[in-house]
Amino acid sequence: MGELTDRPIKVMEVCGTHTVSIFRQGLRALFPPNVALVSGPGCPVCVTSQGEIDAALSLAGRANTTVATYGAMLRVPGTEPTLAEERSRGADVRVVTSADQALSLAMDDRTRTVVFLAVGFETTAPATASVVLDACREDLDNFMILNLHKSVPPALETLASDPEVKLEAFLLPGHVSVITGLEPYRFLPERYGIACAVAGFEAEEIMAALVEVARQIREKRPRVASLYSRAVRPQGNATARSVMGKVFALDDATWRGLGIITSSGYSLREEFTRFDALERLGLTIKEAPPPAGCMCGEVLKGLIDPPACALFGRSCTPAHPIGPCMVSTEGSCAAYYRFRQRGNVNWRD
Amino acid sequence: MERLSIGHGAGGSLTQELISLITGRFDGSPLADGEDCAILPGGYAMTIDGYTVSPLSFDGGDIGKLSVCGSTNDLSVRGVKPLYMALGVIAEEGFPIGELMEYMESAAAVCRSLGVQLVTGDTKVVPRGQADGLFLSTCCIGRVNRKDQLGALNMRPGDTIIITCPPGLHGATIAARRYGLKVRGLSSDCAALWPLLENILPVNGLRCMRDCTRGGLATVLCEWSERAGLGIEIDETLVPWNEAALSVCDILGFEPLHMAGEGCAAVAVAEEEAQETVGLLRKHFLGKSASVIGRVTEEHPGLVGIRTRSGGTRLVDKPVGELLPRIC
Repeated sequence: MGELTDRPIKVMEVCGTHTVSIFRQGLRALFPPNVALVSGPGCPVCVTSQGEIDAALSLAGRANTTVATYGAMLRVPGTEPTLAEERSRGADVRVVTSADQALSLAMDDRTRTVVFLAVGFETTAPATASVVLDACREDLDNFMILNLHKSVPPALETLASDPEVKLEAFLLPGHVSVITGLEPYRFLPERYGIACAVAGFEAEEIMAALVEVARQIREKRPRVASLYSRAVRPQGNATARSVMGKVFALDDATWRGLGIITSSGYSLREEFTRFDALERLGLTIKEAPPPAGCMCGEVLKGLIDPPACALFGRSCTPAHPIGPCMVSTEGSCAAYYRFRQRGNVNWRD
Repeated sequence: MERLSIGHGAGGSLTQELISLITGRFDGSPLADGEDCAILPGGYAMTIDGYTVSPLSFDGGDIGKLSVCGSTNDLSVRGVKPLYMALGVIAEEGFPIGELMEYMESAAAVCRSLGVQLVTGDTKVVPRGQADGLFLSTCCIGRVNRKDQLGALNMRPGDTIIITCPPGLHGATIAARRYGLKVRGLSSDCAALWPLLENILPVNGLRCMRDCTRGGLATVLCEWSERAGLGIEIDETLVPWNEAALSVCDILGFEPLHMAGEGCAAVAVAEEEAQETVGLLRKHFLGKSASVIGRVTEEHPGLVGIRTRSGGTRLVDKPVGELLPRIC
């Protein structure tokens, strides 16, 4: 791969699962020095804004309310303590691995209000849309979602158009692309000249995608290639997108580190507002500044590697995280800390 | 005031912090050496453990079997033959007596197979809602069966690291049940290790052994490397992985090396006796997939490295807090 590039190139892996997979498989030790891989905004927890996290935390103290959440949200600190701490004080906070499980909680006990913290990108949004339709069909009155879903392609455009970021290639997310297909990324090579390759999560797939983008850069022929054809069809999953289209409309959304991005959030359509926790419970998302010194925003833009943050490994560790990039298992700070914090291991052959 | 979290009981670095806080309140004893059980004067050894598993019954075992295996294994890995047991039962009001007796029979069967006598105990019933069905505690006492004490401080550069069975089977089984995954062929490795480990006690170069419970193989190796001030290197391709356990980890985003086993031990032994040790382990059905997975080094003291399938290298760390499934 080193021979494919005649100059240093900067590639962003968009997806948090890629970030962890690259570290877990020790691939960084194999990269040639002229390929710089930076982590992007592909961890759903990491891009959730401070105000959104605070809104989620405010639910935990409510009487007769169960908060159903994906596990990674449990330890993210807001302005107030974490959901895990709220749980230790007696709040009913349940970890679920699917939106469907959250709906089941509501159906099993109709005396309690169940609020599902709906975070994630195109990967999880179809499942949320589907349970909203189910809840509607069942005329379920005790189920709501705090809808924080976001769309990946607009965030990539924000990064691509940012002169400070200076990216030459994206390792595009595998799971998201299963839903979106390849079309939503075409603007990246066409408008911004950025090389793109969708990758799976095995070592060979990631390496093949890096070779692909290096080749595109060398040949000055950027395009959207898929190295994950066993899972990603070029047209994506039309059924999933149709369900999303019934339930959600695109709206502006606030991303941690990236700010407000036009049409990058999936908001509930008007006919489903009775399932919207913000509407029903009268919550507002009050944007608050990130914790002092926290550079998660710069990390998410690929402007710095996590150890460049002054808090990294000092006051901010996985045991006592300050920013969300250190909390989530898919966060790049957590990955750096887990796999690299004390330097790499030098093996003798 | 900071409160306890589930992570404080998950076996990783938060658990270590909590244990330090607790033991710091006591005067301390030279016998409390941080190993799985304490070796007492007169050649006896002692350990205690609490069991709060949910679900109470799972593929490959239940809380009764687990409670005897867990404590007797803590003795076995130090070369101690388990002899006597105390059992504490904390059950919730309304818990079915028939179900309780099933777990007691399950515990008793393991005691019978090991020749362990139940010599004392305690039972409490707490109001409904104050316990998650049933909690068990077991305290075991046994007799040291080896002249040299086994422990991490015995390790020397060049020693070989062996694992007795695929790591993470118990943790993956429980995680699959908890998160509603149906995985064919996945079963906890819950087992009493004494009959297996007894076979290798005569090996002169045996340094230390540890059952890979909460925190998994990763935590055992990290603790060994930190205590001994040595490095440990393992090779991913040498680990006898279980594909079903790996698939659960893959789906949920868990590190397989962090998943608990309940019938799986890591063994450190002098290099020249490594093959003999593997051979002895493989003679017993619990050790049929025993494998050399790595070695102890002078380099990178206090750190554990893994060479991955793809030929890369990375650090192995202890889990931090509760293992939480990923989002996508």
